[in-house]
Amino acid sequence: MKRRNRQLESNESDAINVSPLIDVVFILLIFFIVSATFVTLPGIEVTRPQAVTGKALEKNAVIFALSGENEIKYAGSTVQMEEIPTLVEQASKDRGKPVVIQVDRWADASILAKIVAQARKKSSEVSIATRKPRA
Amino acid sequence: MRRRLAQEPESTEINVSPLIDLVFILLIFFIVATSFVNEVGITPKHKDTASSSANLEEPLAFDLPASGQLLQDGSVIGLEQIAPLVRSRSTEKKPSVLVRVSPGARAGLATQVMDQAMLGGAQAVKLSPLAQ
Repeated sequence: MKRRNRQLESNESDAINVSPLIDVVFILLIFFIVSATFVTLPGIEVTRPQAVTGKALEKNAVIFALSGENEIKYAGSTVQMEEIPTLVEQASKDRGKPVVIQVDRWADASILAKIVAQARKKSSEVSIATRKPRA
Repeated sequence: MRRRLAQEPESTEINVSPLIDLVFILLIFFIVATSFVNEVGITPKHKDTASSSANLEEPLAFDLPASGQLLQDGSVIGLEQIAPLVRSRSTEKKPSVLVRVSPGARAGLATQVMDQAMLGGAQAVKLSPLAQ
């Protein structure tokens, strides 16, 4: 009888205590939920122009890209200049999201100027993505 | 009777495995869905038509022709001359800068001109396209 009791006890202590694991996983989960901002990326990578006065931009923004071939990209597809105000309005849903334009340094500047003008119709803050010059 | 008593505490424990499974799936979803976009950039601010007409001061205009040069008042200047020019203009209030770009000018250069103008303390920088 005594032996049996002991066996039962050792069986119980063999089980791994998962509570700290759950704690850690919950903390990670909460971190990722809080930091998640669902932005639609334009889907192309551009060579950003260098700028010394560049500041960190709002993460939750409507992002357009202007490729080196002068194509305007939004959410993975090519869009027309006239569609920009509608797209900005749809994406920001009355919350006044800022607009970020990722421009390729070899793109046409007059097209960039037109995109900025179009985006300004619906958003008060239009930024141009740059990169820090290497020191 | 005794056996039953010994078993009971074990069976009343909540089985947490499905909970862990679910939490792990959520965790993986959020890890994958999180895109860390840390964008750096410039925000050229400019006042729109109504208020700019009240501003009597002529904006400092830079021209970017298709040739890739940078013109100010008809003469070719270098990028490093922009900031001092803007600074010398700021007498009592911060000057506004207008960057006129022709089709064919490079966006990289236009951005650098705006950057330099903001470095020189320009309050409002406007990018305006020129007709062909």
